[in-house]
Amino acid sequence: MSTSSEHVAHHFPDLETQAHAARLGMWLFLATEILLFAGLFTAYALYRMLFPSAFAGASGLIDTRMGALNTVVLITSSLTVALAYHFSRQGRGRAAAALLLATIALAGVFLVVKYVEYAHHIGAGHLPGRYYRYPALDVPGAAMFFTLYFLMTGLHGIHVVAGMGVLAWLAAGAWRGSYGGEYSTPLELGGMYWHLVDLVWIFLFPLLYLI
Amino acid sequence: MSAPPLDDHPVPHRGGVGRYLAVWAALIAFTAVTVAAARLQLPGGWALAVALAIAAVKSALVALFFMHLWDHGGANRLVLATSLFFVALLMGLVLADNATRFPLANPPTEATLRFMPPGPDPVAPAPPARR
Repeated sequence: MSTSSEHVAHHFPDLETQAHAARLGMWLFLATEILLFAGLFTAYALYRMLFPSAFAGASGLIDTRMGALNTVVLITSSLTVALAYHFSRQGRGRAAAALLLATIALAGVFLVVKYVEYAHHIGAGHLPGRYYRYPALDVPGAAMFFTLYFLMTGLHGIHVVAGMGVLAWLAAGAWRGSYGGEYSTPLELGGMYWHLVDLVWIFLFPLLYLI
Repeated sequence: MSAPPLDDHPVPHRGGVGRYLAVWAALIAFTAVTVAAARLQLPGGWALAVALAIAAVKSALVALFFMHLWDHGGANRLVLATSLFFVALLMGLVLADNATRFPLANPPTEATLRFMPPGPDPVAPAPPARR
């Protein structure tokens, strides 16, 4: 088990101050992530306002069951990350590593479901912009819906992949016993990132799949 | 020096596993509720309002308990609130701009396409021929 002093950078008086600063820095990063996604949500809101019936029709082309399944998968993966941090704080690094691996597996399930959806939409011609080929819903605005669908879920998917990398690195550290009751800051911050990925999906799911 | 105590002094195990499981169960339940509410086909803007309200509750649960804002307040909450304020500013001003424009100054929509001259769009390039 590591002692507290080896984790404290020389410009911090103690571990608690350092953890406080790290947490605040992570929130600042997450704020930029929120604003990054906010640009796409604003585009969605604008085009939904301009093309209400086209958006309603195009949204009907997306399989709600797939989105609901992925919502449950991501929420559960948030739980496993939260529990991993909890067990890491109790010094149970192996349990934390196992929970992080479960999180990565759930993220894999999410991506597989996403792949099935993408393959269906690409095959059916539900494509962005001028590549949109779907005669049954040939109205202005439908192509824009799928532009936003692919942009929003694509950017979110990139975050999922990045998060899987972070979680794998954390799982290796937790397995080696690098984290413990007094120092689990990397696990806490990585977990916050993963929860943000979940947060974004909590808004993407109703907006794209449900209404 | 009488510095105030750090506002987020760790209280990590308040509730512990049980609290995380309860939050998870609530999130799953709200997911079922939002799917069921969408099935109801509520009139007008109510479907959107209900879906966004449920999403807001779910995200509040995630932020407060999974991301520990319940225990770590202070500056962390301020950062999140500030970012949400700027999200509201961005979305509100963009929507207010386009909603109050002379209609033909917006991209051609369902409401204004009937005012467009017949024939190919004079501004946007023609879509490529179907291959």
